[in-house]
Amino acid sequence: MTTTHKVSIWRGGAEGDYAHYDVPARESQTVLDVVTYVQRHLDPTLTYRFACRVGMCGSCAMTVNGVPRWTCRTHVSKVTGGGELKIGPLANMPVIKDLACDMTEFFEKWQKAQSRFIPTKTRKNPMEPIKPDTPARVAANAGIECINCGVCYAACDTVRWNADYLGPAALNRAWTLANDERDGGWADRLKAVSDHGGCHSCRSHQSCEAHCPNQLNPAASIAGLKRLSTSAYLKGELK
Amino acid sequence: MERIETDILILGSGGAGLFAALHAKDARPDLSVTIATKGLLGKCGCTRMVQGGYNVALNPGDSIERHFMDTIVGGKWLPHQGMAWTLCETAVERIHELENEVGCFFDRNPDGSMHGKAFAGQTFDRTVHKGDLTGIEIIGRLLEQVWARDVAKLEEHRAIGLIPAADGGGISGVLFIDIRTGAFRFVAAKAVLMATGGGPTMYRYHTPSGDKSMDGLAMALRAGLTLRDMEMVQFHPTGLLAGPDTRMTGTVLEEGLRGAGGYLLNGEGERFMASQEEKAERATRDIVSRSIYREMQEGRTTPNGGVHIAMSHLGADDVRVRFKGMVERCADCGFDLAGGLVEVVPTAHYLMGGLVCETDTSTAMPGLYVAGEDAGGAHGSNRLGGNGVANSTVFGGIAGDVMADYAAGRSAPAEPDETVLADEMARAQAPFTQPADDLHALRDELQDVMWDGVGVIRTPDGMQQATSQLDDLAGKLNQTGLADMDLRFNLTWHDWLNVQSLIETSQVITRTALQRKDSRGAHFREDFPDAGVPEESRFTTAQLDSGELVISDEPVEFSHVRPGETLLKDDIAAAE
Repeated sequence: MTTTHKVSIWRGGAEGDYAHYDVPARESQTVLDVVTYVQRHLDPTLTYRFACRVGMCGSCAMTVNGVPRWTCRTHVSKVTGGGELKIGPLANMPVIKDLACDMTEFFEKWQKAQSRFIPTKTRKNPMEPIKPDTPARVAANAGIECINCGVCYAACDTVRWNADYLGPAALNRAWTLANDERDGGWADRLKAVSDHGGCHSCRSHQSCEAHCPNQLNPAASIAGLKRLSTSAYLKGELK
Repeated sequence: MERIETDILILGSGGAGLFAALHAKDARPDLSVTIATKGLLGKCGCTRMVQGGYNVALNPGDSIERHFMDTIVGGKWLPHQGMAWTLCETAVERIHELENEVGCFFDRNPDGSMHGKAFAGQTFDRTVHKGDLTGIEIIGRLLEQVWARDVAKLEEHRAIGLIPAADGGGISGVLFIDIRTGAFRFVAAKAVLMATGGGPTMYRYHTPSGDKSMDGLAMALRAGLTLRDMEMVQFHPTGLLAGPDTRMTGTVLEEGLRGAGGYLLNGEGERFMASQEEKAERATRDIVSRSIYREMQEGRTTPNGGVHIAMSHLGADDVRVRFKGMVERCADCGFDLAGGLVEVVPTAHYLMGGLVCETDTSTAMPGLYVAGEDAGGAHGSNRLGGNGVANSTVFGGIAGDVMADYAAGRSAPAEPDETVLADEMARAQAPFTQPADDLHALRDELQDVMWDGVGVIRTPDGMQQATSQLDDLAGKLNQTGLADMDLRFNLTWHDWLNVQSLIETSQVITRTALQRKDSRGAHFREDFPDAGVPEESRFTTAQLDSGELVISDEPVEFSHVRPGETLLKDDIAAAE
């Protein structure tokens, strides 16, 4: 085992460069720990973002040796292969400083996709009985545990080429709502996800599925939306 | 310094803060509502990290009275009974709101009704959940609703001071550092909610989100407000122990591992719980934490100084299926939970203490409200698993309603006390007037002092020593400067401010722990191991007066039920 890792980390905003550091190797050490070591001991001005440390908040995603990952749950040994560690900000988002990106557009597209629950009942009504094994419930459940980390968005070629594309996370959420019998917003959402930049822009490269740290499959969700959208069009429900 | 204005200002974007924003905006759409948060909206803080679930009496066989009695008995008769009642009663409406209006996706029984799971210390299986990632579901859905509304967002804004009105008549607003630019910003508001979420990260091993550093309670102290129950720090028995210099250390391995029959083994490979306790590893959090701590004190430890958790005797393949999330997280970090041994250690999890408030979330400072982990009283000496997220969402919603009424009745925010504003700015800039030194060594020292002196098992000598060590640390911090540097998104500056908040609140924890001369719930003293007489229960209070901490205690008011009595009709009938 090497005693130090050769690490290069992006410094700057849109313009900048990689700076090089030697970080002592530990048996238990994540990529986030490496970044933390640099900030605490080598360069106090290094900026990065993290919160929960356990893969629940989706704040610490970075590009590690060319691949977008959650850094709090990426052991160094998994990515170095004994070689160097190159850490940059996520792609497809503006860099605020060093490793911290501006996620505003990512969340705005979520709204643009109308990917939020529209109630049909109030707190005064009883809860809807929903059997857990119905096909719709199973489909919604398969996509629900998204932590909005932005990894799929950073991995997506279509996002890179098409600035209007809503992206895998927002569309995946729309698909879970399409399968939520309590929701009352489907007509508007169908228009939003069928429009320019919606599900039909996806080229099925499946990078989202390959990189999602929670093993969700946004590509399959988007395929589901395409089916619903095409069928609505053929029925004359969409123009 | 930039100055902006809003009608309602909310500090924090966990369950309490987001619910307050929704309720305030829905109650009075004409009022401007601003949420300020230390990280990104809904992505920092601890509601998001809730694994277990949400306690609520939904089943016909359960009742609000039963949930309430479990909360009071679990809190060892110390809870503020009005708050505990409001928590249990309003949780029923709140869960309907989460399901029907916010759109949360909770696990169902085969017949389609809401699934309630069993959780320690409760007499009914009432913990509603989404798998073991309940917090992500609640915050994810709340976020979508808040984004859709006209709520202003100040993300990556750190609150550094509650600014009273110049005329002394209440609050005028809050001073912030805009973390991204490093600039100060004063937000004037008619009503302010403190919902920054406690977070006892001053211990060597801790579970809360890394951004949490008790800033809210430190601000409340400096504003002269009274805190209660501050000695009550809940330790979770099984935090991951991965060695030094890793943020993995301290993070929770779930309770269910012990519940399912997992073994705890000391450094000599001995199942120490089995010889000490009838329930062995299945004993409550406080008992297991103390047993592990004793093994550590006796030196019977694993390589990194803790004990092992072993699951393989239950069948590694079964463990992999049953505890998928935990097994995967351990594997990502290099540990084999299903088939091997994983080192664990007790870890500081939740602060039961907090700011004194009324059941409508108002505080002694007019215009200032508090909800969630920052508020003291609802849990007494011990919080039941599943009552944390119920507490934050219940009282966050109440705060939103109450603040809307309060703000609607006022024409403008009060004029700020400019002296306090200037003092708070100077305090935050103090490190730039000192020579640069090793801040991180200081934080490590603080975490050792609290772990050793005011931890799982407390002794008078240990606490006395901690008191003076903390005074020394406060002095050292004031001499520990930061290099003159770029203030934009400067995490090290914020680390300095975090350590200051933590030292200030650690002093309160230590002094109130000395004040309490019994052992209750989360607080255990070797010199006073008995719980005392429940009828004579008192809660501790702490207030900063002219720079001096004043520690006292007050009798618990048994407004709903007295020790020895119950509100459960069946039990009353049985007794008669």
